[in-house]
Amino acid sequence: MAVPAAVELVDLALKATAAYGRPDLGSRLEHTRKRLIDPDVRVLIVGEFKQGKSQLVNALVNAPVCPVDDDISTAVPTVVKHAETAVAWVVREPEGEGTPQRTEVPVGKLAEHVSEGGNPGNRSRLSYAEVGLPRKLLAGGLVLVDTPGVGGLASAHGAATMSALPSADAVLLVSDAAQEYTGPELEFLRSAMALCPNVACVLTKTDLYPHWRRIRELNEGHLRTAGIEADILPISSALRLHAAKTQDKELMEESGFTELIQFLLRRVVARADDLDRRSTSQDVLAVADQLNTEFKSELAAQENPERAAALVSELQRAKARADELKQRTSRWQITLNDGVADLQSDIDYDLRDRLRATGREAEELIDAADPADIWEQFSEWLHQQVAAAASANFVWAAERARFLAGQVAEHFAEGADIPLPDLRFDQSQSIAGKVEALAKPEVEKFGVGQKLFTGMRGGYGGMLMIGMATTVAGLGLLNPVSLGAGLLFGGKTVRDERKRLLAKRKSDAKQAVRRHIDEVTFQVGKGSRDMLRRTQRSLRDHFSSLADEVSTSLAQSVMAAQNAVKTDTSQRERRIRDLKAEIARLDAMAERARKLAAGVKPQAAVPVGKAS
Amino acid sequence: MSHAAPPLGSVVRMLLRRTIDTYRDSPQAAGWLEHNLSRFDEPLRVAIAGKVKAGKSTLLNALVGEQIAPTDAGECTRIVTWYRDAQVPKVMMFPRSAPPRQLTISRGSGGLSFDLQGTPVEQVDKLDVQWPSQSLRTQTLIDTPGIASLSRDASARAGAFLAPDDSPSQADAVIYLMRHLHATDVRFLESFYDQGVAKATPINTIAVLSRADEIGVGRLDALSSARRIARRYRADEKIRGLCQTVVAVAGLLAETGRTMRQDEFAALTQLSALPRAEIDAMLLSADRFSRTDPDSTDVPDREARAKLMERFGLFGVRLSTTLIRQGMTDPTAISTELVKRSGLDDLRTVLSTQFAERRDLLKARSALLAIDLVLTREPRPASAPLAAEVERILAGAHEFAELRLLSTLRSGTVKLAPDVLAEAERLLGADGGSAAARLGLDPGTGPDELRAAALDAATRWKRRSESPMSGRAVADVARLVVRSCEGVLAGLQR
Repeated sequence: MAVPAAVELVDLALKATAAYGRPDLGSRLEHTRKRLIDPDVRVLIVGEFKQGKSQLVNALVNAPVCPVDDDISTAVPTVVKHAETAVAWVVREPEGEGTPQRTEVPVGKLAEHVSEGGNPGNRSRLSYAEVGLPRKLLAGGLVLVDTPGVGGLASAHGAATMSALPSADAVLLVSDAAQEYTGPELEFLRSAMALCPNVACVLTKTDLYPHWRRIRELNEGHLRTAGIEADILPISSALRLHAAKTQDKELMEESGFTELIQFLLRRVVARADDLDRRSTSQDVLAVADQLNTEFKSELAAQENPERAAALVSELQRAKARADELKQRTSRWQITLNDGVADLQSDIDYDLRDRLRATGREAEELIDAADPADIWEQFSEWLHQQVAAAASANFVWAAERARFLAGQVAEHFAEGADIPLPDLRFDQSQSIAGKVEALAKPEVEKFGVGQKLFTGMRGGYGGMLMIGMATTVAGLGLLNPVSLGAGLLFGGKTVRDERKRLLAKRKSDAKQAVRRHIDEVTFQVGKGSRDMLRRTQRSLRDHFSSLADEVSTSLAQSVMAAQNAVKTDTSQRERRIRDLKAEIARLDAMAERARKLAAGVKPQAAVPVGKAS
Repeated sequence: MSHAAPPLGSVVRMLLRRTIDTYRDSPQAAGWLEHNLSRFDEPLRVAIAGKVKAGKSTLLNALVGEQIAPTDAGECTRIVTWYRDAQVPKVMMFPRSAPPRQLTISRGSGGLSFDLQGTPVEQVDKLDVQWPSQSLRTQTLIDTPGIASLSRDASARAGAFLAPDDSPSQADAVIYLMRHLHATDVRFLESFYDQGVAKATPINTIAVLSRADEIGVGRLDALSSARRIARRYRADEKIRGLCQTVVAVAGLLAETGRTMRQDEFAALTQLSALPRAEIDAMLLSADRFSRTDPDSTDVPDREARAKLMERFGLFGVRLSTTLIRQGMTDPTAISTELVKRSGLDDLRTVLSTQFAERRDLLKARSALLAIDLVLTREPRPASAPLAAEVERILAGAHEFAELRLLSTLRSGTVKLAPDVLAEAERLLGADGGSAAARLGLDPGTGPDELRAAALDAATRWKRRSESPMSGRAVADVARLVVRSCEGVLAGLQR
């Protein structure tokens, strides 16, 4: 894997920034290093319940880590990652701020914590369970997340899954070969494609259904019609587990897992690796470039003292332009500030609009029936509608924010294209490197999408817990008494009283709905405002510090060029030699960085048949 | 069920006639009521509903005992199709905006196939298949398109048919198929009974855990696993409030069991003769079964095996070869065993106790819903006494009171000890309307014993109703149960 080489290179570059007295460049590298050390590649396994998600995870790691049952479903997400020995934890995140509480449990006892049987409706309020296993497949940083299918994709649960998508590196939609895709599944796929770079569809239980090829064809047709580009991977977990037990290569081939593992390693892990290599390489190249600027301008001045004055003034002009980038009036800053403001009002409007429509529909429903009778299904419906609205709003906000980041990067790059004519030895490389380095943070910032998601989820959890309960209790009290009385006497007074109570129930219910929607608007609105603020801040910080770095480099170059003129000939020659040596050293580092990026070579074939 | 009162059926029929008289001048209302009057004498209409690919058509075939409804791996039924008994086979198409037309019938490999003569599916209101069959004599079966289908239109058609927004449903009872309980299933079940006068009576719905063999991924014990799940659902309060009961049925196994052919039996016998290890290896997956070639030449060829897999499913082949190996050599015995294991017999028993015995009640309910619709749509001075009569029948007829109480009990609002609750439900007729079923005794029990048991129950519940320790709700329940016991006694005296 790329990680060790990349970390080494970053360490080298860090040493260089320290040696040349540029700690400002070091902080960016520190950041890169932190990201490299955590090489997790998260693969979300989602789908309606009872489609074989947990069994798929078990078959992938060839161990019964996720409980599988004919009847009982998974209630808590299970994270399966690499570890030296088999371990399991359950993790409970506190309500407010604070560190999550981790409790180690025996691997065999995990079922009691994560399945509906041992922990119905996630009574013990676990956030997730984590399993570590010594498996070659996972060693590259692959992390499998088995999500609960409870309630189906269209439920509030599904919406929570949706909000986890931006932080995932890949999504596997699991659906069994018993039937073609249903409406909710395709709907989910469509949103998933918008939020996550790598989506594949897994068709499970091919051993059980003789018609799985037909189903695959039908599904491919559905995907085409919906304009979704995703592979369909037919697999049989039962065959794979059996093959692993009997060491039967042929059976392993039939299980379809070879393709799935190839997909995970080549397309998902390798892609994440490539991204790591490329972004590390760009970071190091940018640092080398910045460090070089000073030496190269001094060298130019030393070699041609008569042109030094012209060079200095050119450098000063360049520095002035770099400083301009730091001003609040520079184009990228304006784009960013205006863009965030626009986005904020758009997203807010979108959310309000969606929820208002839901609210109207809800009132119509309440008008049409007695709230006491329909309350349970009604509140479920409302929660679902609200969850769907919030998640659609979220998907849209994430897309828009990503677009904005791209635009800001573009405008910054326009301003930062500072002409340094005499200094750039390999022109094309440098510009390309710089522009790409600028474009990169959007990838990274949205890796930080995790944060954005947590913010959203916080608002979300709050909203789902908001007290519909009190209202239900109130209605429940009215219901049996009034109905019973009505049936027994049937008199006019009772009927009037019944009417009055019904009207009261209706207005109470409407009040409850309005309060709920208000609360949701507030919470989700706050969540998305916070998300935008965070996005804005991190974009601003990133580009400001980039502008700072460029400006510092140029200031030092000006100084170096100015000082160069003062030294005499013999000293000058020695200085030229030194400078050339320094430049050669930095070039060597840049070369290593380039090689790292070029090292995106095809992966070695994965041995099949062993418990990888 | 007081013996002095006239039977519910005739009371409702009379009311229906009176309403027709009142609305003689409104052709639309009168036509609708006439339609419902004639419906009163038809066999019970049982709709088979469920999500896409829940196995509706397969179950229909199993119930009829013939492959008539077309089945396919993809979504298949897109039009509401009625199957009713008749002297000669005949298929009528009812387009939305054209007069009905007769279609030609052709027989494909998976059931009948109908040529719509170029009419687009959306334009067809329903298909009416008349087919001579013993099984259809007591009930008309209605196959519906799947809910949550990708072709939204088909879903909407099923929804409009089963739970129309503006009028009572055309089906008297529903068998609802589900593979596992999804949120959409619950919502659908709720919408089905949540309407009109007799609302909140899950009385006419039976839920079926379909494709039961696949729940346990085709293991030999898959069906007992499925039955365990059905039992759990039955005990679930939410589901109890929505349907009469939950039964696990392996539709494909039942269909194949009822229609097994001699050549299929011969092929299975050949396969069972293979060494155990070999057949087990073949049965690892559906693909393996049809594609590997065993050493022995004395086995059915690939094509025959693929057909076998299609008809029996992995589980069916596993089960029947195991049965043959265990010494069952008679094809009739095998097919009986398959049907028995599939859970179809359970379903038929439930159908006869829940639907067939309550036929009059369900029909009366449908008719009252129809009358109620007319009365609320076109109120007029002359209809006021009719409305009062509907109200009176609903409130007064003990049968409806029983239904209402049953659903109240099932919704869990009245607190009773579990065994007391079970007895109350039984006495109210939850397991069947016959005296023996109500008293929880063997069907062959003599009248004296029945009388004694009924008296005993009546006394016990009378005491409960009068006990100062009982809360008002419990006392109300007890009074109705006593009436049911008295009804049983009255029936025995006759």
